[in-house]
Order: sequence, then C-alpha cells, then structure tokens
Amino acid sequence: MKDKTAVLQGTLALMVLKTLDVLGPLHGYGIARRIEQISGDLLTVNQGTLYPVLLKLEQEGSIASEWGTSENNRRARLYRLTRSGRKQLRAETKGWEQTAAIIGRFFAVKAGDLK
Amino acid sequence: MRALRRFFRRLTSWTTTHQDEERLQAEIEEHLAFQAAENVRAGLSPTEARRQAALKFGGLEAMKQTYREQRGLPSLESLIQDTGHALRRLRMAPVFTAATVLTLALGIGATTSIFTLVNAVLLKSLPVANPAELYRLGRENHCCYQSGYSQDKEFSLVSYDLYKYFRDNTQGFSELAAFPSGQLLFGVRRSGNSEAAQSYPGEFVSGNYFEMFGIGPYAGRMLTADDDEPGVPPVAVMSYRLWRQAYGADPSVIGSIFNFNEKPLTVVGITPPGFFGDTLRSTPPDFFLPLNAEPFVESDADLTKYDTHWLELIGRSRPGVTPASIEAQMRVELKQWLRSHWGEMSPGDQAKFPEQTLFLSPGGAGITSMRDQYQHWLQILMMVTGFVLLIVCANVANLMLVRGMGRRRETSLSMALGARALRVVREPIIESMLLSLAGGAVGIGIAFAGTRLILQFAFPSLPGLAGVAIDASPSLPVLVFAFVTSLVTGVAFGIAPALMAVRVDPIEALRGSSRATTRTGLLPRKTLVVLQAALSLVLLSSAGLLAAALESLENQNFGFEQDHRLVATMNPKLAGYRPAQLSLLYKRIHDSIESIPGVSSVALCLYSPPGGGWGSGVSVEGHPAPGPNDDNSSSWDRVTAGYFQVIGTPILKGREVSEEDTATSRKVAVVNEAFARKFFGNEDPIGRHFGRTQVASGEFEVIGVAKNARYFTQDLNQSSGAMFFLPETQAEYAQTNLGSLFLRDIVIQTGPEASVPFASIRQAIAAVDPGIPISSIRTLREQVSSRFTQQRLLARLTSLFGALSLLLASIGIYGVNAYDAGRRINEIGVRMALGASRGHIVQLVLRGAFGLILFGLFIGLPLTFVVGRFLGSQLYGTNPYNPGVTLAAALVLGFSALVASVVPAFRASRISPLEALRAK
Repeated sequence: MKDKTAVLQGTLALMVLKTLDVLGPLHGYGIARRIEQISGDLLTVNQGTLYPVLLKLEQEGSIASEWGTSENNRRARLYRLTRSGRKQLRAETKGWEQTAAIIGRFFAVKAGDLK
Repeated sequence: MRALRRFFRRLTSWTTTHQDEERLQAEIEEHLAFQAAENVRAGLSPTEARRQAALKFGGLEAMKQTYREQRGLPSLESLIQDTGHALRRLRMAPVFTAATVLTLALGIGATTSIFTLVNAVLLKSLPVANPAELYRLGRENHCCYQSGYSQDKEFSLVSYDLYKYFRDNTQGFSELAAFPSGQLLFGVRRSGNSEAAQSYPGEFVSGNYFEMFGIGPYAGRMLTADDDEPGVPPVAVMSYRLWRQAYGADPSVIGSIFNFNEKPLTVVGITPPGFFGDTLRSTPPDFFLPLNAEPFVESDADLTKYDTHWLELIGRSRPGVTPASIEAQMRVELKQWLRSHWGEMSPGDQAKFPEQTLFLSPGGAGITSMRDQYQHWLQILMMVTGFVLLIVCANVANLMLVRGMGRRRETSLSMALGARALRVVREPIIESMLLSLAGGAVGIGIAFAGTRLILQFAFPSLPGLAGVAIDASPSLPVLVFAFVTSLVTGVAFGIAPALMAVRVDPIEALRGSSRATTRTGLLPRKTLVVLQAALSLVLLSSAGLLAAALESLENQNFGFEQDHRLVATMNPKLAGYRPAQLSLLYKRIHDSIESIPGVSSVALCLYSPPGGGWGSGVSVEGHPAPGPNDDNSSSWDRVTAGYFQVIGTPILKGREVSEEDTATSRKVAVVNEAFARKFFGNEDPIGRHFGRTQVASGEFEVIGVAKNARYFTQDLNQSSGAMFFLPETQAEYAQTNLGSLFLRDIVIQTGPEASVPFASIRQAIAAVDPGIPISSIRTLREQVSSRFTQQRLLARLTSLFGALSLLLASIGIYGVNAYDAGRRINEIGVRMALGASRGHIVQLVLRGAFGLILFGLFIGLPLTFVVGRFLGSQLYGTNPYNPGVTLAAALVLGFSALVASVVPAFRASRISPLEALRAK
C-alpha cells in the first residue's frame, strides 16, 4: 500500500500540471485555489505542501518560474508549463485513463460474464 | 531523464542557497497575503483573516524543512558540514594536528618508500609487450658458463648450437631469443675520436630479441634476424640512457661507427627509454650486438663451441599453447640434440644423459637474479616498516583518544539534545580520515626522498659504469598503496575514539566529567602504550642484532690483510691486447707502480678477494680418476710473483709464487688449506702433482700451502672452499680459452705511514699505456665492505626505525602518564593535604608508569626472541641469542620511558594541595 503522502504528491503534481495547462501561467496561491476548487476537500488543510511539489517539478524541468506581477499589481512568482511538462502531462493523462478504463472494466464485471 | 536532471539541480543548489531562501520566504508571504485578502473580502477582520490564512497554510517550519531537504542533497550537505567542522576543529588545535600529521607522514612515508623498492624489484614485470606470454628456460639462476654435455638439476644455459636447434624445432614459441647469462663489458669509443675508450656493459643478443620482446626503436631501428647472420656488416644498438647521458641525444650517433674492443660496428638505433634488457641489474646493458658479431668483437668466440653453454633463453608462446606442452617438447629436443653429439661427450656426461631435463618458468619478469638476491632483505624491511606503522597508529590513536576525552562534555551534551549516534561517530572518523590523508600526502614526499636515499646506499655505482635501473619516483601502484595505507590507518585509529565517543552517558554532561568515578578511556590508552613499548623493544633489539651481525661479518678473519692495501681494477682486454702481449704488459705495470713513492710492493691477479675465482676440476696424480658423482671441483686464481705477501695471506708450508717460476721452469701451484685437506687428506701436499684433467694430472707441482682466505662471500656460513693459485708467467698464452689470461686486479701494498694518491696510480698505468681503461681504484677495506652493502643498509635502516619507534613510544608514555596524573589531581590533592610528601607523590605516579613499561617488556621479550630467530635463519651471521643486545635494548627503552614518566610525575608533585583540591 503506497504511502498516502506519496500518492498525494504524485497526483498533486499532475493536478498542478493540468491547472497550468488549462489556465496558463499562474502564481502559487492561484494554483492552490484552483486545485482546491476542483478537487473539493483534498487541499483544504496545508496549502503549504504545494510548494515542495512546485520545487520538484521545477527541478525536473516540467515547469519554469519567474518573477512577475499578479492581477492586483503585487509582485508574485509565476509558474508556467514547459514543453517537456506538456509532454509529461499528456503521457500521464493517457496512463491514468488507461488505468481507469481497466479498473472500470473490472468493477463492471459480473459473475455471470465469466464462465 | 527527469530524475537525472533533478539530481544535478539538487547537486548545484548550494550555489543559490541564500537567494532560494529569500525567494521562498517572499512567496510564502505573498501566498499568505493573497489568502488574507480573500478572507477579508469574505468578511473576516484583518487579524482573523491572517490567522485563518496561516492555519490554512499549515505548518510553516515543517514545510520549509521539507522544502530544504528537497532542494539540496541532505546527506551530502551534512557530510560537507561535518568535514568543515572537522577542519575548523583541527585548525584550532595546531600542535595536535601538526604532531599527528607528521607522525603519520613518517610512518606512511617509510612504508611507501620500502614498497616502491619492493614493487620495482619484486613485483614489476619487464617493460615489454604482453609479459604474461613470455617463458624462460630454467627455474633458477646458474650464471654464467657451463661446459660439457650435462648440467646438474636442470639444463638452463645453452650453447649457440643448442639454441639454434631449439629455435628451429620448437613450434610452441612464436619467437625464441637468446642472450648471455653473464654481463660483458665492452671498451667503446667513437670512431675517428681520439678519446680513450670507456668500458660499458653490453650483451650479444639473437636477431629476434627485440621482436620477441615487442620493443620498437626510440630512434633508428632495432636489430633484426638479418643482422644476426655470419658475414653481414656488423651493427649495434645503443641504450637510451647512454645516448642521453654521454652523447646528449645527438642524432648523428645513429649511423656512425663505434669501436668495440677496437673493432668497428655501426650503431643503427636507440632502445626506448625504460627498457633495461632482460635482467634487472644495477648496471643495465648499454649496447646490444648480434650474437654473430661475437667472434668479431671478442678474442675468443663462444659462439662456435657446441659445448660451451653461455646463453639464456626467453620465448614468447603462441596463443593457445600451454607452457607444459612446450616444456615437454623441448625436453625431447634436448635429448635429440645430446644424442647427436654422443661422440663428443665424456663418459661422465654419457652416464648422466638419462637425467638431463629442463624446466620452463614464467619469463615476464626477466631473469630474476636481483629478485632472488634482494628478496629477503626487502621482506625483512617490509616487516620492519610494518612494525613502525603499527607504532605510529598506536601513537595517533592515543592522541585521538585524548581529544575524544576532552570532548566528552560536548559529546554528551549533543547526545542529550538528540544527536543521532551515527553523526556523533562520524565526526572523529572524518577527523582521522582528514589527518591520515594529509599524512599520506606528506608521506609521499618523504617516500620519494627516502627511496632515493636507500637506492644510493644500496647500489653505489662504480665510476665509469652505468647507473641504477630502478625508478625512484612514485608510480601509480605506489600512490595507490600510499592512499590505501592512509585510509586504513585512518579507519584504524579513528574507530577507537569513535566508539568511545558513543559510549558516553548523557548524564555526564550534567554531572561534570571530572567527578566520574569510572576511569574509562584509560585502559585502551594503557594497552596502546604497552603495545608500543613491546614493539619498540623488538625493533631496538633487532637493530642491535643486525648491527652486531654486520660488525662480526666485516671484522671476521678473512685470511688476508685489509689495511694499507689498494686495489686498482683495469681491463686490458678492452684496449685490444692480444694474449702474447700480456706478460710484458703486466711486468711493465708492476714496475711502473712499484716506483711510486710510498708503494712497498705490487702484485697482479685475476681475482682479488673477496671477488671470486675461476672454477675448474682437479685430478690428483696417483689418485684414481674421479667418478661422475665425486666432487673434484676447486676454484683457482692466477697471480704474479709475491702476491701472497702483498695480499697478506700467510704461507703455512713451503713457499709462495716467486721470480723463480718462469715460463720455462717446471709448472707449479700454491694451494690453500682447504684444497690440501680435500685432495690430500692428512698427507703432505708439497711435491705432489695434480692437473685440471685426468690426462694431465701431473701438470702442476704443489710448492706451498697458504692459509684459507675468503674469495667468495656467498656462503659465509661454510668454511672456505678449495683453491689453488697459478703463476702468471706460466700461463698458456697460446690456448683458445682466453678469459683467464687477462688479469684485472692490481693489489698495491703501501708503506705503514705512506699515503698514495689514486691519481699517481692512474698516471703510472697511463705511463705504460694510456689506452687501458681503469674501472676503479679503492682500498681493499672498501672492496670488502662493498660486499656487505645490503647488510649495512639493513642494519642502518633498522636502527633508524628503532630510534624512531623509541621516540614515538616515549611520546606515547609521556602522554598517558601526564593524562593519568591530571585525572588523579584530586586524589593527589587529598593525599598531600593529609601529609604525603612530594617524593611520595612522585613515587606514586612512577609506580603506575613502571607497571606499564614492565608489562610492555614482558610482552616484548618473547616476541624479540621469535623475531631474532627469524632474522638468524634469514641472514647469516645474526646470532639470535645475544643477551647483551636484548638487555641493552631493554635498558634503553626503560631509560627513555623513565624520563618520559618522570616529567609528569614531578609536575604532579609540584602542585599545591589547595589547587589540586580545587581543580575540576
């Protein structure tokens, strides 16, 4: 059974990539809020855990960051998706969809289908 | 791919630490500001908005910690941090650091220095291609000539005819090369040059010699099979060393003509640097000539004699062929060749025919005469330096333990605050690694200097001959060895303090360590000191034993006089003299030198002692012929009139060689006691006859018996062998075996008060013929001691190491006693307050110290005997049961230990009781 935090980190990274893919360059708070909105209660506590994930993705080269101005003219660090990040996103999305499909088939199976 | 990229980002993140921290802080603040603003918009008060924002964010410090761990490589960073700490701590204790590094450097340097020699002499192979494929004929060395058709134990030397037979018929070798077993000297000068000929060592080699070794030329070309045919223009190859040293790497040397023993040959190439031939010698060959040039250059040709075996063989095996199969085939070929010469074989040889066999052994290291010679010395030296290294480790471990003790409070505090045991143990180990690496680095420098010193002592080069073939500079294996030794010592003496550090009880930090009732930490130190004392005793007594052995070796009764005697060594063969001219030459040289003021008498000889002798068989007239298993061998020497008086060997019966023995008078010989006993038993040999062959057994009449004198130093544990002396005037100058006709040594007896400068001797010889090269002039005493150079070196080195170990042991003893006294300060204070006198305190401390030393001596004595016996078995002349030496060593050790203990004892006694009680 994988560690819950490890699963969280892995899926969190995916969520970050998807968010940046859909919404374009965003600062850390913005990403956190969007993920919170979409995922419901996954990130209601400990928004701070986002930052190590952002660091990891940046170290891997999937996202890049630079200083910029936010919507209310505050200085903020903006993150954006890189080309390799986009590739990674596509690959992982495909992987998840396949997994979901396979699991789905298993869940849909009834005793009668297997003879 | 991503993981790799991430790894590199983490690796280099330390460059941007400061900016990254600031950036994270800024981001967090922005995040909180955003959240707070939203909370305010949702209706919360500013303070409540902030609080909620902070709550929502989560644990700040924990997140920062996770962030930091992700950003860099925590394990690496803590390691770097610890190393930085260790460096700083070492810098803060400069005396300790310097003392430790120096001690380690000496130990590692000595070991590495000896290892350089061991590597060069014992371990390295020839600098040739694929040495693993090379095989040589013979398992042992049987230098340098064998004649006849049988060889005891194994056929290892071959004649040219036998070599050709092997070469042409043995399929298993891709190339089989031959070269002489003994070393030859050539008198060489450049053609057209008027300078005198210099003598250089050289070899006659087969045409495929360089090809077999896989050696290409540095310049010009090497010898080929085409050069090794009779009748082709004679060529030669020069060594790189000589080319540089004597000719300044002048390219015109290649292709120019040189005179070898006054015969012209063309030098066609230069060997590559580092190639020293087939045998590791102190005088590597400077010239290589083809075998077929031998009759041309040398007055007597060994090449054409079927039964003169003077060549060694080394061959390169074909891939896939085992040496066992080649050996088997060569044995068959040997028998075939012997049978083809059956008619010329003596009955003795024919009888020994069935046992004739040969062996192949690995040839990658060349002919290993030097290895065999020096193996024992080097092994003993390695043992000695091993001891010193142990003592060094013990000393440094002691020092480290003291430091560990000093840091106990710090350590216990750290552990109480939660430091992991691993990190606590890591610190002392890192410190000891740093120290030993530094010690190793300095040690390499010491090793380099040390090796050169040892080489100079071990291989003193005679003037006019080539230099040393051993490379003293540290090579890769040596550096690896030094590095590994450093690491091992680092771990060895780091572990003890490290383990001590972990066993600290955290409560000590609160209590104050000086009030501890247990005296932990002292036992290991005491053990170390006892060990040091024991090892030092062994080293010191070994040094004493070796020095005593050397003394007895050099001052034994050799049978001749060493004082007031000079020996000049010349080589008339190299000046192109023919046998018929020799007798007159000797007379002229004799008269010329005798006329020098201060010289009382002169004689010439083939060998002066202890230089050796020529070998021969002996048949006594009137005795039955010696059978094939009888030992009828003897050495002999050729001397001029008055020799025995000049050399100082007394004549016990009859007379010595004198002017009455001329070319026309009856042939006579003087024998030594051993000869008389061997061949005549208790009968009087005067007037009896003997000869060198059965047919001519009446050739020589014995006219005198001389005292035994040492002409050979190889078998000092046996008495002198049989020897006879022939007058020079009666030599057969018409014979073909010319080697024994050329007398080399001139022995000069000087008057008791006179001192004869060497230059005047040279002048006297030059006055006769300036073309005769003189290899050396030295006193007979020097000549004798030069045979014991290795023993002297060993004795000196062991003494040096003994002194070193004594110093280290004394330092160790001082340290332990000082520490002990320091820890007992309270106790001392109490005693003094209760009325103990100062003397009493001194006694108290000394008692403890003495206990240690006595224990060390107790352990060391049996070890000394064991080592002494080992030395005695390895080196002749070492008497292992020399109680005087052992007692002296024990006394020296005891005395220095006493001095080392007395100082802390006195310091302890001089403290006032009040101070002692107050001290923490």
